[in-house]
Amino acid sequence: MVKRLPKIGQMKIQQMAFMLIAVVLFFALVGLFVIVIRFSGLKQSSVILEEENAMLLVTKLANSPEFACGSSFGDSKLSCIDADKVMMLREHISDYSGFWGIAEIEIRKISSDSKECNLENYPNCGIIQVYSKNVNKLPASSNFVALCWKEGSDRGINERCEVARLMVSSEDKT
Amino acid sequence: MTKLKKGQEEIVGFALIIILVSIILLVFLSISLRSSSAMEIQSYEAEGFIQAVLQHTSECKGTSEYLSVQKLIFSEREETCSDERSAREILNLTLIELCEKGWNVGENTPIKGYEMRLLSDGTEFLSVQKGNITQNYKGAMQDFSKRGIDYGVYFKVYYD
Repeated sequence: MVKRLPKIGQMKIQQMAFMLIAVVLFFALVGLFVIVIRFSGLKQSSVILEEENAMLLVTKLANSPEFACGSSFGDSKLSCIDADKVMMLREHISDYSGFWGIAEIEIRKISSDSKECNLENYPNCGIIQVYSKNVNKLPASSNFVALCWKEGSDRGINERCEVARLMVSSEDKT
Repeated sequence: MTKLKKGQEEIVGFALIIILVSIILLVFLSISLRSSSAMEIQSYEAEGFIQAVLQHTSECKGTSEYLSVQKLIFSEREETCSDERSAREILNLTLIELCEKGWNVGENTPIKGYEMRLLSDGTEFLSVQKGNITQNYKGAMQDFSKRGIDYGVYFKVYYD
Protein backbone atom coordinates (compact mmCIF):
# COMPACT_ATOMS: atom_id res chain seq x y z
CA MET A 1 0.00 0.00 0.00
CA VAL A 2 2.79 2.37 0.97
CA LYS A 3 4.66 1.40 -2.18
CA ARG A 4 1.67 1.91 -4.56
CA LEU A 5 0.71 5.41 -3.47
CA PRO A 6 3.61 7.30 -5.09
CA LYS A 7 3.05 5.37 -8.30
CA ILE A 8 -0.57 6.47 -8.41
CA GLY A 9 0.60 10.04 -7.74
CA GLN A 10 3.15 9.81 -10.54
CA MET A 11 0.44 8.45 -12.76
CA LYS A 12 -1.86 11.36 -11.92
CA ILE A 13 0.90 13.87 -12.58
CA GLN A 14 1.61 12.20 -15.90
CA GLN A 15 -2.07 12.30 -16.79
CA MET A 16 -2.27 15.96 -15.89
CA ALA A 17 0.85 16.71 -17.90
CA PHE A 18 -0.55 14.99 -20.96
CA MET A 19 -3.87 16.72 -20.48
CA LEU A 20 -2.10 20.06 -20.22
CA ILE A 21 -0.12 19.34 -23.39
CA ALA A 22 -3.33 18.36 -25.16
CA VAL A 23 -5.14 21.49 -23.97
CA VAL A 24 -2.24 23.75 -24.95
CA LEU A 25 -1.99 22.11 -28.36
CA PHE A 26 -5.74 22.43 -28.85
CA PHE A 27 -5.73 26.14 -28.04
CA ALA A 28 -2.62 26.67 -30.13
CA LEU A 29 -4.38 25.09 -33.09
CA VAL A 30 -7.55 27.09 -32.53
CA GLY A 31 -5.39 30.21 -32.30
CA LEU A 32 -3.58 29.29 -35.50
CA PHE A 33 -6.89 28.80 -37.30
CA VAL A 34 -8.11 32.19 -36.15
CA ILE A 35 -4.83 33.79 -37.25
CA VAL A 36 -5.01 32.04 -40.63
CA ILE A 37 -8.58 33.21 -41.21
CA ARG A 38 -7.74 36.79 -40.26
CA PHE A 39 -4.46 36.65 -42.18
CA SER A 40 -6.16 35.36 -45.34
CA GLY A 41 -8.50 38.34 -45.21
CA LEU A 42 -5.56 40.68 -44.88
CA LYS A 43 -3.74 38.88 -47.65
CA GLN A 44 -6.76 39.27 -49.94
CA SER A 45 -7.10 42.96 -49.23
CA SER A 46 -3.36 43.49 -49.69
CA VAL A 47 -3.54 41.67 -53.05
CA ILE A 48 -6.44 43.90 -54.10
CA LEU A 49 -4.52 46.99 -53.02
CA GLU A 50 -1.41 45.79 -54.80
CA GLU A 51 -3.42 45.14 -57.96
CA GLU A 52 -4.96 48.59 -57.81
CA ASN A 53 -1.60 50.24 -57.15
CA ALA A 54 0.06 48.37 -59.99
CA MET A 55 -2.77 49.19 -62.36
CA LEU A 56 -2.76 52.83 -61.33
CA LEU A 57 1.00 53.10 -61.61
CA VAL A 58 1.20 51.50 -65.06
CA THR A 59 -1.80 53.45 -66.35
CA LYS A 60 -0.47 56.67 -64.80
CA LEU A 61 2.94 56.12 -66.40
CA ALA A 62 1.49 55.28 -69.81
CA ASN A 63 -0.56 58.46 -69.77
CA SER A 64 2.09 60.72 -68.23
CA PRO A 65 3.53 63.53 -70.42
CA GLU A 66 6.93 61.77 -70.59
CA PHE A 67 5.41 58.70 -72.26
CA ALA A 68 1.99 59.49 -73.74
CA CYS A 69 1.38 59.96 -77.45
CA GLY A 70 -0.76 63.02 -76.81
CA SER A 71 -2.06 64.20 -80.15
CA SER A 72 1.12 63.37 -82.09
CA PHE A 73 -0.64 60.42 -83.73
CA GLY A 74 -3.97 61.98 -84.67
CA ASP A 75 -6.67 61.89 -82.00
CA SER A 76 -5.50 61.64 -78.43
CA LYS A 77 -5.33 57.97 -77.56
CA LEU A 78 -5.50 56.07 -74.31
CA SER A 79 -2.59 53.86 -73.18
CA CYS A 80 -0.52 54.94 -76.15
CA ILE A 81 3.22 55.44 -75.70
CA ASP A 82 5.26 57.62 -78.02
CA ALA A 83 8.38 55.50 -78.66
CA ASP A 84 10.31 58.40 -80.20
CA LYS A 85 9.75 60.44 -77.05
CA VAL A 86 10.72 57.49 -74.83
CA MET A 87 13.98 56.97 -76.75
CA MET A 88 14.91 60.59 -76.13
CA LEU A 89 13.85 60.30 -72.50
CA ARG A 90 16.12 57.27 -72.20
CA GLU A 91 19.08 59.41 -73.26
CA HIS A 92 18.39 61.90 -70.45
CA ILE A 93 17.24 59.41 -67.83
CA SER A 94 19.83 60.56 -65.26
CA ASP A 95 17.72 63.71 -64.79
CA TYR A 96 14.81 61.52 -63.72
CA SER A 97 16.47 59.36 -61.04
CA GLY A 98 13.97 58.94 -58.21
CA PHE A 99 11.29 60.86 -60.12
CA TRP A 100 8.86 57.92 -60.36
CA GLY A 101 9.91 56.19 -57.13
CA ILE A 102 10.27 52.82 -58.84
CA ALA A 103 13.17 50.53 -59.67
CA GLU A 104 12.65 49.66 -63.33
CA ILE A 105 10.59 50.70 -66.36
CA GLU A 106 10.71 48.59 -69.46
CA ILE A 107 8.65 48.43 -72.64
CA ARG A 108 8.55 45.12 -74.56
CA LYS A 109 6.97 44.74 -77.97
CA ILE A 110 5.01 41.49 -78.01
CA SER A 111 5.80 40.68 -81.61
CA SER A 112 9.51 41.37 -81.79
CA ASP A 113 12.71 39.73 -80.69
CA SER A 114 14.46 40.45 -77.43
CA LYS A 115 16.93 42.88 -78.97
CA GLU A 116 17.41 45.88 -76.69
CA CYS A 117 16.80 49.22 -78.34
CA ASN A 118 19.43 51.91 -78.76
CA LEU A 119 19.66 54.86 -81.09
CA GLU A 120 21.44 52.72 -83.73
CA ASN A 121 18.91 49.88 -84.07
CA TYR A 122 15.67 51.74 -83.20
CA PRO A 123 12.87 51.02 -84.19
CA ASN A 124 13.92 47.53 -85.32
CA CYS A 125 14.26 46.21 -81.81
CA GLY A 126 12.08 44.67 -79.13
CA ILE A 127 12.88 46.06 -75.70
CA ILE A 128 13.19 49.66 -74.59
CA GLN A 129 14.74 49.75 -71.17
CA VAL A 130 13.78 53.20 -70.02
CA TYR A 131 15.07 53.14 -66.49
CA SER A 132 16.76 50.61 -64.25
CA LYS A 133 18.05 51.08 -60.73
CA ASN A 134 20.73 48.73 -59.46
CA VAL A 135 18.69 47.29 -56.57
CA ASN A 136 16.69 44.14 -55.77
CA LYS A 137 13.42 44.32 -57.67
CA LEU A 138 9.96 42.93 -57.04
CA PRO A 139 8.22 41.02 -59.87
CA ALA A 140 7.07 43.47 -62.52
CA SER A 141 3.52 44.73 -62.88
CA SER A 142 2.56 45.20 -66.47
CA ASN A 143 -0.16 46.19 -68.84
CA PHE A 144 -0.64 46.28 -72.58
CA VAL A 145 -0.03 49.56 -74.36
CA ALA A 146 0.21 50.70 -77.95
CA LEU A 147 3.79 51.67 -78.75
CA CYS A 148 3.75 54.19 -81.60
CA TRP A 149 6.45 55.85 -83.65
CA LYS A 150 6.88 57.71 -86.92
CA GLU A 151 8.74 56.26 -89.87
CA GLY A 152 10.10 58.15 -92.82
CA SER A 153 9.42 56.82 -96.34
CA ASP A 154 9.43 58.03 -99.98
CA ARG A 155 5.83 59.17 -99.58
CA GLY A 156 6.41 61.09 -96.37
CA ILE A 157 6.01 60.11 -92.76
CA ASN A 158 4.10 57.00 -91.75
CA GLU A 159 2.81 56.25 -88.30
CA ARG A 160 3.17 52.77 -86.88
CA CYS A 161 1.82 51.29 -83.67
CA GLU A 162 2.55 47.92 -82.15
CA VAL A 163 1.16 46.14 -79.12
CA ALA A 164 3.67 46.18 -76.27
CA ARG A 165 3.82 45.59 -72.55
CA LEU A 166 4.77 48.39 -70.20
CA MET A 167 6.51 46.73 -67.26
CA VAL A 168 7.15 48.44 -63.95
CA SER A 169 9.13 46.96 -61.03
CA SER A 170 9.31 48.39 -57.56
CA GLU A 171 12.27 48.08 -55.25
CA ASP A 172 12.28 45.05 -52.93
CA LYS A 173 12.87 46.60 -49.52
CA THR A 174 12.56 43.35 -47.53
CA MET B 1 0.44 -3.18 -11.92
CA THR B 2 -0.75 -4.50 -15.29
CA LYS B 3 -3.74 -2.19 -15.14
CA LEU B 4 -1.50 0.78 -14.42
CA LYS B 5 0.89 -0.09 -17.24
CA LYS B 6 -2.03 -0.46 -19.63
CA GLY B 7 -3.31 2.95 -18.55
CA GLN B 8 0.12 4.48 -19.07
CA GLU B 9 0.38 2.93 -22.51
CA GLU B 10 -3.03 4.30 -23.44
CA ILE B 11 -2.08 7.79 -22.30
CA VAL B 12 1.18 7.62 -24.24
CA GLY B 13 -0.76 6.43 -27.29
CA PHE B 14 -3.25 9.25 -26.87
CA ALA B 15 -0.47 11.80 -26.55
CA LEU B 16 1.28 10.41 -29.62
CA ILE B 17 -1.94 10.65 -31.61
CA ILE B 18 -2.44 14.26 -30.49
CA ILE B 19 1.14 15.16 -31.41
CA LEU B 20 0.85 13.41 -34.78
CA VAL B 21 -2.45 15.09 -35.61
CA SER B 22 -1.15 18.50 -34.59
CA ILE B 23 2.00 18.04 -36.68
CA ILE B 24 -0.13 17.08 -39.69
CA LEU B 25 -2.36 20.12 -39.09
CA LEU B 26 0.66 22.39 -38.76
CA VAL B 27 2.14 21.07 -42.01
CA PHE B 28 -1.22 21.59 -43.71
CA LEU B 29 -1.44 25.11 -42.33
CA SER B 30 2.07 26.05 -43.39
CA ILE B 31 1.36 24.73 -46.90
CA SER B 32 -1.87 26.70 -47.14
CA LEU B 33 -0.10 29.83 -45.89
CA ARG B 34 2.71 29.41 -48.34
CA SER B 35 0.35 28.77 -51.28
CA SER B 36 2.05 30.06 -54.39
CA SER B 37 0.78 33.29 -55.78
CA ALA B 38 0.56 32.17 -59.38
CA MET B 39 0.36 34.89 -61.99
CA GLU B 40 -3.08 36.39 -61.87
CA ILE B 41 -4.88 37.75 -64.83
CA GLN B 42 -6.32 41.16 -64.17
CA SER B 43 -9.31 42.46 -66.06
CA TYR B 44 -7.41 45.71 -66.65
CA GLU B 45 -4.94 43.67 -68.70
CA ALA B 46 -7.78 42.48 -70.92
CA GLU B 47 -8.95 46.08 -71.18
CA GLY B 48 -5.44 47.32 -71.99
CA PHE B 49 -5.05 44.56 -74.56
CA ILE B 50 -8.20 45.63 -76.45
CA GLN B 51 -7.07 49.27 -76.44
CA ALA B 52 -3.59 48.37 -77.68
CA VAL B 53 -4.89 45.98 -80.35
CA LEU B 54 -7.27 48.61 -81.74
CA GLN B 55 -4.32 50.98 -82.25
CA HIS B 56 -1.99 48.34 -83.71
CA THR B 57 -0.94 49.04 -87.30
CA SER B 58 -1.88 46.15 -89.57
CA GLU B 59 -0.26 45.00 -92.81
CA CYS B 60 -3.20 46.32 -94.80
CA LYS B 61 -2.26 49.37 -96.79
CA GLY B 62 -5.18 51.59 -97.69
CA THR B 63 -5.08 54.48 -100.11
CA SER B 64 -2.34 56.36 -98.31
CA GLU B 65 -1.33 54.59 -95.11
CA TYR B 66 -1.27 51.29 -93.28
CA LEU B 67 -4.55 50.84 -91.47
CA SER B 68 -4.91 50.35 -87.75
CA VAL B 69 -6.98 47.42 -86.50
CA GLN B 70 -9.78 49.82 -85.58
CA LYS B 71 -9.83 51.24 -89.11
CA LEU B 72 -9.79 47.68 -90.47
CA ILE B 73 -12.87 46.88 -88.38
CA PHE B 74 -14.63 49.93 -89.83
CA SER B 75 -13.77 48.97 -93.37
CA GLU B 76 -13.85 45.17 -93.18
CA ARG B 77 -17.02 44.99 -95.31
CA GLU B 78 -15.79 46.79 -98.39
CA GLU B 79 -12.08 47.56 -98.24
CA THR B 80 -9.44 45.65 -100.11
CA CYS B 81 -5.81 46.18 -99.19
CA SER B 82 -3.15 47.19 -101.69
CA ASP B 83 -1.90 43.58 -101.88
CA GLU B 84 -5.37 42.45 -103.07
CA ARG B 85 -6.17 40.67 -99.83
CA SER B 86 -9.46 41.56 -98.19
CA ALA B 87 -9.54 43.72 -95.06
CA ARG B 88 -11.36 40.94 -93.20
CA GLU B 89 -8.67 38.40 -94.03
CA ILE B 90 -5.90 40.66 -92.75
CA LEU B 91 -7.97 41.60 -89.71
CA ASN B 92 -8.39 37.92 -88.88
CA LEU B 93 -4.68 37.15 -89.34
CA THR B 94 -3.62 40.20 -87.31
CA LEU B 95 -5.90 39.34 -84.40
CA ILE B 96 -4.75 35.71 -84.37
CA GLU B 97 -1.11 36.83 -84.30
CA LEU B 98 -1.61 39.45 -81.59
CA CYS B 99 -3.62 37.15 -79.32
CA GLU B 100 -1.09 34.36 -79.83
CA LYS B 101 1.84 36.59 -78.89
CA GLY B 102 0.09 38.50 -76.14
CA TRP B 103 -1.26 35.53 -74.17
CA ASN B 104 0.72 32.44 -73.40
CA VAL B 105 -1.83 29.62 -73.38
CA GLY B 106 -0.80 26.19 -72.15
CA GLU B 107 -1.08 23.40 -69.63
CA ASN B 108 1.75 24.80 -67.50
CA THR B 109 0.57 28.39 -67.55
CA PRO B 110 -2.29 29.95 -65.59
CA ILE B 111 -3.96 30.97 -68.84
CA LYS B 112 -6.02 28.14 -70.29
CA GLY B 113 -7.57 29.94 -73.21
CA TYR B 114 -8.93 33.16 -74.69
CA GLU B 115 -11.68 34.35 -76.93
CA MET B 116 -12.03 37.55 -78.91
CA ARG B 117 -15.31 38.41 -80.59
CA LEU B 118 -16.00 41.27 -82.98
CA LEU B 119 -19.57 42.42 -83.45
CA SER B 120 -21.16 44.86 -85.81
CA ASP B 121 -24.70 45.98 -84.99
CA GLY B 122 -24.99 43.08 -82.56
CA THR B 123 -23.98 40.44 -85.12
CA GLU B 124 -20.72 38.59 -84.69
CA PHE B 125 -18.58 38.86 -87.80
CA LEU B 126 -15.24 37.58 -86.55
CA SER B 127 -13.94 35.59 -83.62
CA VAL B 128 -10.56 34.30 -82.51
CA GLN B 129 -10.38 31.53 -79.98
CA LYS B 130 -7.70 29.30 -78.51
CA GLY B 131 -7.44 26.80 -75.68
CA ASN B 132 -10.12 25.71 -73.24
CA ILE B 133 -13.08 27.60 -71.89
CA THR B 134 -13.05 27.39 -68.09
CA GLN B 135 -15.35 28.68 -65.36
CA ASN B 136 -12.93 31.45 -64.35
CA TYR B 137 -12.32 34.30 -66.69
CA LYS B 138 -11.47 37.96 -66.85
CA GLY B 139 -12.80 40.03 -69.67
CA ALA B 140 -13.29 43.45 -71.13
CA MET B 141 -15.21 45.05 -73.93
CA GLN B 142 -15.00 48.18 -76.05
CA ASP B 143 -17.84 49.80 -77.97
CA PHE B 144 -17.53 52.36 -80.70
CA SER B 145 -19.55 53.47 -83.69
CA LYS B 146 -19.03 54.94 -87.12
CA ARG B 147 -21.52 55.98 -89.80
CA GLY B 148 -24.42 54.77 -87.68
CA ILE B 149 -23.01 51.27 -87.23
CA ASP B 150 -22.25 50.08 -83.70
CA TYR B 151 -19.15 47.97 -83.27
CA GLY B 152 -18.09 45.95 -80.25
CA VAL B 153 -14.91 44.12 -79.31
CA TYR B 154 -15.24 41.52 -76.57
CA PHE B 155 -12.25 39.76 -75.07
CA LYS B 156 -12.14 37.06 -72.42
CA VAL B 157 -9.15 35.27 -70.90
CA TYR B 158 -9.86 31.92 -69.26
CA TYR B 159 -7.67 30.70 -66.43
CA ASP B 160 -7.49 28.01 -63.68
